[in-house]
This record gives sequence, structure tokens and C-alpha cells, in this order.
Amino acid sequence: MHIPDGILPTQVCIAGYGIAGGITWGTLRQIRKTPDPQAQVPKASLLAAAFFVGSSISIPIPPASVHLVLNGLLGTLLGWYAWPAVLIGLLLQAILLGHGGLTTLGVNAVMMGGSALIAAQIFQLRYRFPALLHRKWFLGTLGFLAGAIGFGLAALIFFGLIIFTIPANLDRVTEQGTLAALMIAHIPLLFLEGGFTALVVLFLYRIKPELLES
Amino acid sequence: MEPLTLKRQGTPGYWISGVLCSSLLAIPSAAQAHGAHIQSRNTPAIEIQAHYDSGQPMAEAQVQVFAPNDLQTPLLRGLTDGEGRFLFVPDQPGDWEISVRQAGHGDIAVVPVTLEGTVTPDYNNSGELTPVQRGVVAAAVIWGFVGTALFFRRGKP
Repeated sequence: MHIPDGILPTQVCIAGYGIAGGITWGTLRQIRKTPDPQAQVPKASLLAAAFFVGSSISIPIPPASVHLVLNGLLGTLLGWYAWPAVLIGLLLQAILLGHGGLTTLGVNAVMMGGSALIAAQIFQLRYRFPALLHRKWFLGTLGFLAGAIGFGLAALIFFGLIIFTIPANLDRVTEQGTLAALMIAHIPLLFLEGGFTALVVLFLYRIKPELLES
Repeated sequence: MEPLTLKRQGTPGYWISGVLCSSLLAIPSAAQAHGAHIQSRNTPAIEIQAHYDSGQPMAEAQVQVFAPNDLQTPLLRGLTDGEGRFLFVPDQPGDWEISVRQAGHGDIAVVPVTLEGTVTPDYNNSGELTPVQRGVVAAAVIWGFVGTALFFRRGKP
């Protein structure tokens, strides 16, 4: 899912950094508005570690290999803090593991971190239904939707960016064919990410429900 | 009048010769040949092998080879084999760029080639981390995150 260096045109990389900068400014403002901005840092650190490791767990599905992203999970559990957690995780992945790249850091951050923020908003919907707030099935469903949609949006952005920026000197038909195969390979992962997020939400609700509050 | 008559008499002959010559020239050179020969010789070639982070080979991936004197237009294009390998023969020394791409994933390698057409002896492209090194790096990063969590979780004085 990470876009490496040398794949995207320079303009797209610069635009990615520009958008990522704007989102960083916005999320940090939101975090500063909270009564104690440092209170969520331990949770954000631990989930950033999970995000960092998640991309190392490869599942070989031809034509490439897919891996867990967990951006939906981070959005569900961290809210606004998901953005800095994803950004730091991506930076370390690019520098230490070679996943993604430094020129595409902004684009990757928008792709995964932006989707995580959407997932956060989906999970926030639970407060609109106070009567269902403590129903396990409701929390599980919202967790599933947040995890699956967070991942699905990131995948859509990835495929959209790649399809619309295929270089002219590359065989478009071949590249589009392999992209279509890779897109299909990501469908099971959509349910896996959603299911995993739902399980984590239900587990935390049972043992430490205050971790789900925001 | 005589030269004119002679000219008129000779015109069909010139036309026939002209048509024959034109026809011969119009025949593709391959069709004019009577046989084919294959020569073989030793030549230094460079093989690349591309694989994903997981170790899975990039089979049937698109390869573009850029010569040192033109890094904008690919000199060669092709596909890797089932093991992610691709072979090419450099015709000049310098830094050759090889781009391998498949489904939005890929890498670019810069291979320094000597006058003899071989890779520079001190060139090392195996800069990737071994699984053990990766494990150590991942453990260090995780510990960094855990340490950060513990630091911010400590009781305030």
C-alpha cells in the first residue's frame, strides 16, 4: 500500500506534502483544544508501534504482497491523534525499513492518515445514538465499518493515484492489469481490517471501556 | 526525326528495366536472402533481480533500462521472468538506470558499468536489511514507542 520513491510525478509529491502540512496544522490545533493534550500520548504511542509493525506482516497474494495497514484501527481508537501517529509511523517505516519513501511521505500520510481521520468520524457516530451507545453489536458494527472504510479509502486513493499517473513510456495495459489484480487481492484485507478493528473495540469495551471514550 | 524514332523505339525497353529495378528494390531485404545464419559470441551482460519486501519475486514486472547518456528515454524495455530477473548488455560505460515497476510498486537501481561492460567491482547493491537486522530495528522502534508511552504515563510531580 505504501507508494515508494520514483513512482509518482514530482508535482503529486509536492501536493501531497502541502496537503499533509495543512492536515498536520489542523489536527494539532484540535489536539491543543483538549483539556490535557498529553493524556492520549501513551495510547497514541502504543498504537503507532502497532501501525509500524503492521506493515511488516506481509500476506503474499499475487501479483504483489499485501500487508495490514491498521489505519482504520488507529482512527477508531485515537481520533485526532491518529494523524501524528500515522505520520511518525510512516516516517520511521520509510527511513528504517524502506517501506514507502521520503518523497512520497506526504502522499502516503494523506492516503493513510486522512483515511484514519475519516474512520475516527465514523466511530464518533456512536454518540449520535445514545440509546445504542452501550450495545455491543452497535459498537462492533461501527468498529467494523470504521476499520474497513478507513482501509478501503486508503486503498482507493492508492489505486487512483497510481492509475492516473502511469508514465507514458510504460505499458498502460499491463500496469492496469496488474493493478486490477492487486485491487481484487485487497478485498479480503478490507474485511480482515474491519473485523480486527471490531474485535479490538469489543475487547477494550469489555476490559477497559474508558479507552474508547474521546 | 531519327533520334526521336529511336527514342520511341527504345522507350519500352527502358520502362521494363526501370520496373524490374524498382521491383527488386521494393522487395524486402529479408526476402532477397537465401538463408539465415546465427552467430554466437561471448559478451558481458548484466542481470538484475527484483523482488518485493516479502522476498516474493517481481514476476512479469515492467523493466526500463536507461543508458548513461540519456536518462529520459528508455533504451530497452521488457518484462522480468518468473524469478524477477532481467538481462541486458550495456554498450557504453557509465551509470545505467534500471527501473522495475509492477502495480504501483517498484524500484530504481543505478548500476555503474566499466569500459569492459561489467559492473564496477566495488558496487554493492545489497543494501537491504537482513531479516535479523529488520527484527532488531523493529524491536528498537517498538521499544521507543513503549518508552514514549511510559514517559507520558508517569505520574506528574
